[in-house]
Amino acid sequence: MEISIKGLNKNYYSEGKTIVALDQVDLTIPANRIFTLLGPSGCGKTTLLRCIVGLEMPDSGEIAIGDEVVFSTEKGIYVPPDRRGLGMVFQTYAIWPHMNVFDNVAYPLQTRNEPREEIVRKVAKTLHFVQLDGFEKRPATKLSGGQQQRVALARALIAEPKVILFDEPLSNLDAKLREETRKELRAFLTELKITAVYVTHDRIEALSLSDTVAVMKSGRIIELGTPRGIYFDSDRRFVADFIGRANFIEGKVASVGNGETTVDSAIGAIACEKKINASPGAAVTVCIRPEFIRVLKGDHKVGRNIFRGRVESLVFVGDAYEGEIRVGETLLIFRIEPTTAVREGEEIALHFDPRHCSILLN
Amino acid sequence: MQKTRKGLTPGLIAIVGFLTVCPVVMLILGSFSEGLNAFGTFTLSKYVKAYTDPAFAEILVNTAVFTIGSAIVSTVLALFLAYLNTRTNIPFKFMFRIISLIPMMVPHILFAVSWVLLLNPSNGMINLFLRQVFGWEGAALNIYTLQGMILVEGLLDLPIAYLVIAPAMSAFDVSLEESSKVCGASNLRTLVRITLPVLRPAILAAATLVIVRSLASFAVPSVIGMPGRIYVLATHIYRVVATGYVTDYGMAAAVGMSALAASITLIFLYRHLTREGEKYVTVSSRGYRPSVIDLKGARYPLFGIVALLSFVLIVLPVLVLFYTSVVPYSMVPSAKAFAMMSWKHWIAVLKDPVSLLSLKNSLYLGVGGATLGMILSFFVAYVIVKVRTKAAGFLESLSFLSFSFPGIVVGIGFMWFFVQTPLYATIWALLIGYIATYLPYGIRPLTSAFVQIHSNLEESSRVCGGGPFYTMRRIVIPLLIPGIVSGWILMATMFVRELSLSVVLSRPGTEVLAVQILRFAEDGLWGRLSALGILMIFISTTLVIIASRIGAKLTKVDK
Amino acid sequence: MKKLIIFVVLVLFAAPCVFAAGTDAKGSAGQALAEKAKAEGKVTFYANITSVEPILEDFGKRYGVKAEYTRLSTTKFIATIMTEHAAGKLTADVLQAPMPVLEFLMEKGVLASYTSPAAAGYPKWANKDGKIQSFGIEYAALIYNKELVKPADVPKKYEDLADPKWKGKIVMADPSSHPTTISWLIGLKENVIKSEAEWMKFLKGLAANKPMFVASFGPTPAPIESGEKLIGISMPKYIITKAPAPLDWAKVSQPMMGTPRGMAITAGAPHPNAARLFVDYWLSEDAMKIMAEKVGEYVLAPGIYPPIAGIDKAKVIPIRELSDDEIKKWGGEFKKIFAAP
Repeated sequence: MEISIKGLNKNYYSEGKTIVALDQVDLTIPANRIFTLLGPSGCGKTTLLRCIVGLEMPDSGEIAIGDEVVFSTEKGIYVPPDRRGLGMVFQTYAIWPHMNVFDNVAYPLQTRNEPREEIVRKVAKTLHFVQLDGFEKRPATKLSGGQQQRVALARALIAEPKVILFDEPLSNLDAKLREETRKELRAFLTELKITAVYVTHDRIEALSLSDTVAVMKSGRIIELGTPRGIYFDSDRRFVADFIGRANFIEGKVASVGNGETTVDSAIGAIACEKKINASPGAAVTVCIRPEFIRVLKGDHKVGRNIFRGRVESLVFVGDAYEGEIRVGETLLIFRIEPTTAVREGEEIALHFDPRHCSILLN
Repeated sequence: MQKTRKGLTPGLIAIVGFLTVCPVVMLILGSFSEGLNAFGTFTLSKYVKAYTDPAFAEILVNTAVFTIGSAIVSTVLALFLAYLNTRTNIPFKFMFRIISLIPMMVPHILFAVSWVLLLNPSNGMINLFLRQVFGWEGAALNIYTLQGMILVEGLLDLPIAYLVIAPAMSAFDVSLEESSKVCGASNLRTLVRITLPVLRPAILAAATLVIVRSLASFAVPSVIGMPGRIYVLATHIYRVVATGYVTDYGMAAAVGMSALAASITLIFLYRHLTREGEKYVTVSSRGYRPSVIDLKGARYPLFGIVALLSFVLIVLPVLVLFYTSVVPYSMVPSAKAFAMMSWKHWIAVLKDPVSLLSLKNSLYLGVGGATLGMILSFFVAYVIVKVRTKAAGFLESLSFLSFSFPGIVVGIGFMWFFVQTPLYATIWALLIGYIATYLPYGIRPLTSAFVQIHSNLEESSRVCGGGPFYTMRRIVIPLLIPGIVSGWILMATMFVRELSLSVVLSRPGTEVLAVQILRFAEDGLWGRLSALGILMIFISTTLVIIASRIGAKLTKVDK
Repeated sequence: MKKLIIFVVLVLFAAPCVFAAGTDAKGSAGQALAEKAKAEGKVTFYANITSVEPILEDFGKRYGVKAEYTRLSTTKFIATIMTEHAAGKLTADVLQAPMPVLEFLMEKGVLASYTSPAAAGYPKWANKDGKIQSFGIEYAALIYNKELVKPADVPKKYEDLADPKWKGKIVMADPSSHPTTISWLIGLKENVIKSEAEWMKFLKGLAANKPMFVASFGPTPAPIESGEKLIGISMPKYIITKAPAPLDWAKVSQPMMGTPRGMAITAGAPHPNAARLFVDYWLSEDAMKIMAEKVGEYVLAPGIYPPIAGIDKAKVIPIRELSDDEIKKWGGEFKKIFAAP
């Protein structure tokens, strides 16, 4: 079910100060896709989620879920969260400690007074789906973090909501479990064909899980697109920086040519194959992600997108070396395969892949 | 959710305001009006007279020392007991619950009297013992001092402090302590630097409650303070009221206003100090398994202290009560006393129709009053914790209003108020008066409990399709059961022994236990008084056991 | 004093006539009253006196009218009555309180006129303006522990209490606030101790003995019984109500004093006939006997005494009623005198 949001505003007042949580947000969340709100803490992503689910009351604007307007200041509509028919997984899981697994999961059905046999059947089915068969009688607080997370998911899914919302559901899990759960979650959600809205500040989660990512900053949505699109093609420095590690090199547009733009920078001329609409002389920033900097072995001369520098530091992280290299005065981060023989202090040549050099407008 | 909350606050302010403001307004009117009731011509003379009394400064100093001293004694003891109970492997933990509850059931006047029997300088049993064993001349220990008053009042108010602190202590997120220990801090340092500061809201709440309560307390200042000629505000007011036949309660109210001002200041201060309530949300659904500190060699010595405390708090007063109820008159234990023991006071009480009626009324008021009181407290605590607007703060202050007035005076305020309504001289007047006055007993444990429920637990239910009331019934109330049980017990036991309001509002047919006990006290019939006191303790104990059982049953996860 | 004794003697002689009159009243008018009272069903009694349940019970049995009793302590008496009166909700039919309280209420128009035929034999001073009838005296005396005080040591006169041998051994109600104790000390000055200087010497001596203060008479006997203190200014009635406690009263040569206990009917009594019947019964010999024997009260009904050895021989006089201003003034004075080291 599609969610459409129009002109949403929300301010908080605290000790005389006004904090803008949502600033004129317009957004359409497509049906049956996984949609992620990504941003640093305090950007308003959780507030937006809570507005959709009905736990917060926006100051103005309109929210519609499918055809039903659930909130509108203009029409004076406010549907409370319990009548919006949504599912939600909280960051804390919000597993009720005074209930066992069965009661936690059955709760949404119990609120609807469904017949007992039906509830038992559906709980068993849902627990099976989240791979917690036979956990019904366990006290919920005696479960591990990952199991609690799945109970929370089962509870959100059991009433077959049209939309399910996630508020940083993986942030309390350890790294390995987080990775596994992320994959499982993607599999569950894809299988269910459900609209999912997912809030996170973790870029890997956002990129790996979503069909669409919206990046938020200071109460606004500043970029919307597919994970690839956001990762590769963003022309905002904030987004490029937030979505992954990147080198930013200040410069001026030297020439705009046939599918290629040359930028003059402190380390030399950089050729970029990304389309831009800047005229020569404009101050720009070139963005190159570390994984697209290649180390060239041997005695390479400085040339087109080839620069020389000294390896300042090198850290082995298992699947790669991550290091810093100094080119002139500029320090760049790079990432190379672990088998590459590079040592600290060594002079090496680098190559920037022009297809992955993007130009950001200042 | 927002809408329901918005409607709730003014509604509650109206109800609580009606309950607590009306009598206080009557008292304010009375303190400013000529003559003996609340509707005379305006005058300031009562204030002038009350506050130009040269003895007043000394009384204020005594009062401050007495209330703060009592608060320190009971809060420190409560922390000590709560910590031992929830965080260590001290043996016989069941004793803690008993210690925390029994003093609430003992009529305060009897508790004070039993300490006089033990520690009076002439023939107090402990003094006699010290004289015989050590050959000390004169009185080694004298109860009729400010220290004596603080000790006894502190012990009497210990349950209030314990019931506020213990739930917070047991719900404490242990990881906070663990991280301190990882940082290299010892157990003691962790306690001082981490545990106590994090528990600050509970500690302050406990101390505030005790100060406010001891400010209004009359039993200890009259039984112990007066013979030592140490006057505090409550006994000063009594003196104002009792001198002469035409008692001027307006004047007493004028004196009482300073107690009211002090209490309101305290509550304001308390709110200010605990403003960042969210910081102290210490329980989430992740489940907590408090780690237990091994006391090792200190286990039994520490238990010895607890045992001594329970002896002093429970065994002693009950023993003294029982002893007094079977000897014919006040006598020091001796062979003669044992020879003269009989059940005659018990028989007299059990044959007395008014005593029996008062048992019935008090039981009814205890159960009915505490139940209604908790329902109201629940909503008020909800607004105070979860809404936290200016209006919510106002509501909290309101709830303390009649509670913080000295008992003798607030009773008159209620009488002036109820006589304007058809409730006058009915049991409903008592019921409403009790709830209005002792509302903080219900609200405090509930707010402590509320603060610790993460709002996600509630929100999750709303998203799952539970309406506001369904959510309360299925999620909020069950999670609050420990707080609800604590509050109910505090209220019910208080109502069973309530005196200061009852003595003004009770009429034929609405006699209650404490009033009957007071009658016996005024006639000097300590034997009957003790017999009825034991019956009172028995009723309270039964109520406590039933409430705890129900609470335990409701909090069990697997049904 | 002489007059009183003569009066008592006279009354003793006149007693048979009074009883005759009493029976007569019961015969005709009394019968009618009893029936009207029965129709009203009950009588509400606000009182300051305690332990009077046996009298109420006997009344109920005798006339089939239920007597409901509300105990109001002196400090709350006027406040309660005036509050209810002002709101038109005074439910009491009959009031019983110390004289000054009733006089205050009389001035405020709370009381009705009624002179009970049963009070015919009572002293003249006991009736005030045809509205208040005194029936007893709340008498105070020196009460001591007869097991711990040797007979030779028992005070022979009130002034003996100032003897330093009693230092730290006395209990009394707080003389800065307890009205009866204040009146009693003033009574000493006006009726017993000859000169004001001697009276003051007595007070200072008493103060120097550091008596222990309690709130009222109620808590005075317990420390004496238990031996915490040996002697106190208290009420002889405790010798009866607290038996077998080792209490006795010092049979001093001077008269015993106390404040009169009065009773009256309220102006708007909801059960006026039951109220009259109740007052008549209360003042009757039967009721007064119960009061003297079971409660130990000193009553004004002729020839009836509490069963305390020596009381029938004692002179008991009502103290002059002090106005509230006087009580407050003297309370302040005593506060100073007793605070001095």
